Amino acid sequence: MSERAKRKAGGGRRLTAVVLFSLAALLLIGSVCGYVLRGTAASQANLDKMRTSAVLHAASEGLVENIAQQARAEKLKELRADKDFRKRGLDEVNAICDAARDEARAEAEKMYSNPVVSDEAALENAIGAFEGVLATSGTLYERERSAYAALYVSLVENVSDWTDLADGATDDAILQGLADTVPEIAADENAHLRDGFIRLARAMAQAEQEKEAAELQKQMIAQMKGDIADWSAYAELDDDALWASLVEESSDLEAAGDFKPALLEAAKAFAAAAANGEALPEQAEAEQGAETFSETQVDYGYFTPTEELAKEQADNASAYEELKTQLVAIIPDLSGLSDKLQDTLRTNVETVVWPGSLDFTARYDAYMAHGAASVLAGSAAATMKLASVAEVLLLASVALLLLGLVMYGWEPLTKRFGVPRTIIALFFIYLCLLAELYNISVPMMLGNVLERMTMYGVLVLAMMPGIQCGIGLNMGMTIGCISGLLGIVFSLQFNMTGFPALIFACLSGAIISLPLGWAYSKLLNRMKGNEMTISTYVGFSFVSLMCIGWMLLPFNNPKIIWLLSGRGLRVTHSLLGSFAHLLDNFLSFKVLGVEVPTGGLLFLAFCCLLMWLFSRSRTGIAMTAVGSNARFAEASGINVNHMRTIGTVLSTVIAAVGIVIYSQAFGYAQLYTAPRQLGFIAASAILIGGATVSKARVSHVLLGVFLFEGVLVFGQQIANSVVAGGGLSEVMRIMISNGIILYALTQSGGASRE
Amino acid sequence: MNKSKVFSHIGKYAVTYLFIALSVFFIIVSGLDINYVASQLLLRLNRNAFIVLALIIPIVAGMGINFAITIGAMAAQIGLLLTINWGVTGVPGILLAAAVTLPLGAFFGFLIGKLLNKMKGQETIGSLILGYFANGAYQLLFLFIFGTIIPLNSNVTIVGASGVQNTLNLTGSVGLYTAIDGIAHISFLTALYIVSGVLALAAVIQFVRKKISAKRMAATVALAALIAGVFSIPGVAAVVNGQHGREVRLPLVTWLLILALCLFNSTLMRTRLGQKFRAVGQSQTVANASGINVDRTRVIAIMISTVLAGWGQIVFMQSEGIGTFQTYAAHEQVGLYAGAAILVGGASIDRATNLQALVGTFLFHSLFITAQSAASALFGDSAVGEYFRAFLSYGVIAVALIMYAWRGTRQKKEGQMNLAGRDARGG
Repeated sequence: MSERAKRKAGGGRRLTAVVLFSLAALLLIGSVCGYVLRGTAASQANLDKMRTSAVLHAASEGLVENIAQQARAEKLKELRADKDFRKRGLDEVNAICDAARDEARAEAEKMYSNPVVSDEAALENAIGAFEGVLATSGTLYERERSAYAALYVSLVENVSDWTDLADGATDDAILQGLADTVPEIAADENAHLRDGFIRLARAMAQAEQEKEAAELQKQMIAQMKGDIADWSAYAELDDDALWASLVEESSDLEAAGDFKPALLEAAKAFAAAAANGEALPEQAEAEQGAETFSETQVDYGYFTPTEELAKEQADNASAYEELKTQLVAIIPDLSGLSDKLQDTLRTNVETVVWPGSLDFTARYDAYMAHGAASVLAGSAAATMKLASVAEVLLLASVALLLLGLVMYGWEPLTKRFGVPRTIIALFFIYLCLLAELYNISVPMMLGNVLERMTMYGVLVLAMMPGIQCGIGLNMGMTIGCISGLLGIVFSLQFNMTGFPALIFACLSGAIISLPLGWAYSKLLNRMKGNEMTISTYVGFSFVSLMCIGWMLLPFNNPKIIWLLSGRGLRVTHSLLGSFAHLLDNFLSFKVLGVEVPTGGLLFLAFCCLLMWLFSRSRTGIAMTAVGSNARFAEASGINVNHMRTIGTVLSTVIAAVGIVIYSQAFGYAQLYTAPRQLGFIAASAILIGGATVSKARVSHVLLGVFLFEGVLVFGQQIANSVVAGGGLSEVMRIMISNGIILYALTQSGGASRE
Repeated sequence: MNKSKVFSHIGKYAVTYLFIALSVFFIIVSGLDINYVASQLLLRLNRNAFIVLALIIPIVAGMGINFAITIGAMAAQIGLLLTINWGVTGVPGILLAAAVTLPLGAFFGFLIGKLLNKMKGQETIGSLILGYFANGAYQLLFLFIFGTIIPLNSNVTIVGASGVQNTLNLTGSVGLYTAIDGIAHISFLTALYIVSGVLALAAVIQFVRKKISAKRMAATVALAALIAGVFSIPGVAAVVNGQHGREVRLPLVTWLLILALCLFNSTLMRTRLGQKFRAVGQSQTVANASGINVDRTRVIAIMISTVLAGWGQIVFMQSEGIGTFQTYAAHEQVGLYAGAAILVGGASIDRATNLQALVGTFLFHSLFITAQSAASALFGDSAVGEYFRAFLSYGVIAVALIMYAWRGTRQKKEGQMNLAGRDARGG
């Protein structure tokens, strides 16, 4: 780019920055106006008016829906009576019934749309009183529920074997077992929850047994499917004859026991499919993702309120009765509802009156969602809208301001930090701001980030020697990961526990990875210029090869193999009995309610220090020279292939140790396809830290893993509060992780390598 | 053929011969009924051949295995979703989906091509990761944009949440199941006789027009006669004619489409554009020197491939035995399986033909069908077969990449020796 063009581009950016700044200022003014408007009496009065309308609307909603559903049911009955019923398809019948329902609903809505309120003041008082009671009991309720949820989650995540804990045990024994796992259960303040958790333990034990049975059933079906060559021959048989011939073909079936009906069902499906010449139906496959951070869904079915809360809830009920009499006076039909609909009515009214908090936006949104828009006329609607979006405006304003600042200082910033690092760092700052807004505790989140740094840190460090020695992003580090997993499985096989187990797993993993890494490096030395493509596919192939290995290797400790079939390693191994969280809990302390995983951080720091020392040694410097310019290094008398071998082996060995550390922090070791994507995760982290495919430093590792995990942790929490149901954070992870690798590839530009 | 020629031929097609041996071994070990294997194999061939054929052009243009065909599949799935949403059924529905796929696929292909031009020499890995990246964008679109910003009917969205349903039914009133496959069927034997007849006739005509030698003509006619003859033996014919099990029948229109694509590929290579593809594939420096716009040619190659892959995905989705549209998973393995299949057929990172694509699909899927049963016969566990299939797919790609890189390094070494240290390898 010429000097002039550069200046022109700079001017354009500055202009954009100015535009962004003015927009930010505009939004800021809007936001301030919104906050001011919130405080005015008129807005409060409007809000109360909206509340009344929304409550009435919510009350009639149940009625309307009831009428609509009844109309639908009647229409269906009418259709059934008709002699042409069989001729109509299911879709057509549904369409007709839905139309009838919608029509009835519209009519009912019209009927209840304008209820005549005779005594407005009394109604408003009743609503106000109910709101007051709900506000106190609601907060208490939320607090108790979240305490319950925290216990629930730590129980579900930490109990490794529910069957062992609860099957056939007495209440006291179960309680003891639970308290052994999560000591808080024994605390006095949680006394009211104990019975619920005992019930939970029993239910979990049962579910676990059912799951194992389902797994066995699946295996038996697969076995049977494979054993029989020609299914079509079985199509015409009746149940008993079919079973007899199945047992003849596949002798294992004699022991089927309770699974017989399911097996017969499957056999019939296979036979029918084969007879029609279709493909045999596949069984649903449980895909194991690499990222197993799925949050535990809390089941509130085992929740018991404290006495205090129970009393509050009783108050609550009387305030509600008061309100209901008022409502019945206005809409007489409400008195004739069934019990179930009465419950719905109460839930409806409660969600309107107590939308989680009495925050302006929360109230406004809840009322608008229940048709309160009609009470606001003209300018009132606009001012209320503005007041309700004040926070969003503020946030957008800050975002624009940030963007403007970046635009303004784009050149010095990107020169200093590189484009992706700048963008991700800004995104991280913005997420922190958002977290503040959504009342997510930032210190708590930072604690999570620290925890995940200890988890992924060493794995990301494994990328570094690979980059330094010139093989680029070592996607084949999964070879090291699998060696490490083998080390873990060995430690489990020999029933080792504590630090000896951890050290044994690290060492044996490292030893296994040495020859593998050496062979792998010899391969890569012959493939200069194509390492990344080849290492990716060699890694993938090795993972799938080892999937077969995990099935066939002769491990025999009943704790780690499939109990029912008696062979093959299980997919997930809990390390609770051996070395889960061992490093992280070492010397750990609490700061601001955040658990700091001291041991893990220290270990990461130690590894980084070693790596730093190594890269300053003679060998390390020579290796870095090979990575940054192989031809120059060769000319200065460095043995390029030798250096590449050292780097690759080092990378593989660190990956082996890394997966052991990862598993201890995670609490589980995962085999089979789980390690497949680890190379990608490590690669994106180090790239975000500022490394390129030919240069990397320890600082890139640390910064990268902090930013990457930071964005993921914050992003996940925020995405969950913005959009109900997960998914968005996963999408973000996929796009960031692969986007950064793509960017690095475009920067390396093929020919510039070598 | 002399000895060294035989060796170089075997070296070139080592993977193919290995797969032929494995297939035969697996079919025997699995103990599956041969009639079942044959019918399954042909079914899978007509399902997958179209997508595999879509890989040829980028390979010829020197861009390696285009794993970004997954993005073409995504374009097709958007087309199918809209078709289901609008309630268009049967052949018009398929045509509509194909029509939607065309601009979408071309646009995505354009973007892919632009990006791959920035990572020359790393296209294979680049397109793989691009596929992963696009999967994120696809989920964003299907989970959070469809149904909210872009309104859809309630029969395709999740009730009570944003996003498209996990599985969409293609059968019944949706009317897209076997919309192409079901138009007409022809028995396998009839098709075989017709094909060998045409083959022999074409050879004779070519000979009369003096395009080929008498020896070549005789060989072709003999081959055609041999194929027809082998299937006239009652024992062999019994495998496919329904004496034991079912008669194997081919969906005529689908096969005509596959044939048309083969013809398209081979005619395209004879046009000016095809010459450009080949020139760019052989050496970008030379192509550039002879006045070809290298980057533009590469973008066009990827665009064609992406659109074709999209249509291939439509052919796949409507085919017999599928019936449901796995909204979030249907595209995931497309690149992997197609890439592995074409490599099994003897293609490499820089050369591929129609025949290789078809043979590769045939061999790859013959292993796919038998792997589970064979594994349970060998190891007493069918899950091993499942993993073995994955290993084969990844392993064959890894081996092909390694062999290609090996050859490249060797050539480079020779070049270096010749040019006394000057780097002869182009981008």
